[in-house]
Amino acid sequence: MIHYLPTIRSNKDGFDHLAELAAETNELFNSRLEVDFSRCGFFEANMAAPLSAVLTRVAADRFNKIEIVNVPSPIQNILCKNRFLVTYGYERVSDVNQTALPLKRIQLSDDGLFAAYLSRYMNGKGIPRMTQAMDKRFRQSVFEIFQNSVIHSESLLGIFVCGQFYPQLQRLDLTVADAGIGIRNTVRRYLRQRISSVDAIKWAIEARNTTKTGPQPGGVGLKFLIDFIELNKGKIQIASRFGFFEYNNGAQKFSKLTADFPGTVVNLEVNTSDTSTYCLSSEISPENIF
Amino acid sequence: MNNEIIVRVYDIVGGPLCVSADDGQKVYDKIAPLLRDGQKVALSFFQVKTMISAFLNAAVGQLYSEFTEDQIRERILVKDIDPEDLELLKRVVDNAKVYFRNREKFDEAWKEEVGDEE
Repeated sequence: MIHYLPTIRSNKDGFDHLAELAAETNELFNSRLEVDFSRCGFFEANMAAPLSAVLTRVAADRFNKIEIVNVPSPIQNILCKNRFLVTYGYERVSDVNQTALPLKRIQLSDDGLFAAYLSRYMNGKGIPRMTQAMDKRFRQSVFEIFQNSVIHSESLLGIFVCGQFYPQLQRLDLTVADAGIGIRNTVRRYLRQRISSVDAIKWAIEARNTTKTGPQPGGVGLKFLIDFIELNKGKIQIASRFGFFEYNNGAQKFSKLTADFPGTVVNLEVNTSDTSTYCLSSEISPENIF
Repeated sequence: MNNEIIVRVYDIVGGPLCVSADDGQKVYDKIAPLLRDGQKVALSFFQVKTMISAFLNAAVGQLYSEFTEDQIRERILVKDIDPEDLELLKRVVDNAKVYFRNREKFDEAWKEEVGDEE
């Protein structure tokens, strides 16, 4: 089977196209998938994480061989730098400017590796020096996203992470994708309602909503993350099954994807020139915390 | 608070990153027995650099499943914590109080998935 991958940007169209790839290859078994990039005009580097999640399912769950062909040279350069293509037999390209956070697959049981990954690549010389407050909130946010995936995704194939810094725009993208059950299924189990993927995302981002039922509470992380993005003037995107959510510049956008994305992706884009202090409530003191 | 036992999070977790529910559980497992014994605890976040809600839910939020708000207020104090982290802790604590007040409802959660059709 040959699949012609179109241009993939980090937006709804990009996630639509990756979901379409997953849907088209859903029945492919013990065969060969050729992903042809000849119609791909641009590929935004962080989207290598969700593409990798889709392709890993095709290969590992259904025993297919994957080949990636006809990759235009500029795209090949980006995807070799972030090592996505290395998995498919391409030569590694040195990231001289150190602006890429390379693609890494981390098993749920190895969640300590994520800390090592951040420590190693967030200190690259191409990654900007953010204020201490900004750096702290950014790390906190990506650990929140990663731990959410560890707790909720049930992704047997692990979690796929990569990122890219765009110096001209002063923007840093970090994307965490899993090949799990999706937010929809987790929320359906909890609410006992057959709600849509979009409604499941709407429910999940509300403060205090959590699908946890045990002694460890939940329902703080996603709201905390969105509050940070609002102050930072950054962007967050969540794609999960048929649902897509984007928060950008104070505006929320929900839409239905054209096909079923088999898992969940969270893309965080932060404004690295931010100088906010992030200490919101000066009236909170350790004495009145409980 | 006099004669409190200082529980150092850094020592229990083994580093400055408090970023998993599993590590939060380790801290909870140290604090809860002390509180059961009526001990006073000073929870120190000295040298902790990054913490997230999943960690704090397990370490601190979970205490509200077993102890009353008054007991927690009387027996625990928090120290050596960054103001930014204090804000997150406050959110976790406020959320935990609501979570356990509504526990009956939460515990009715259904375990079966409702179909795979969109």
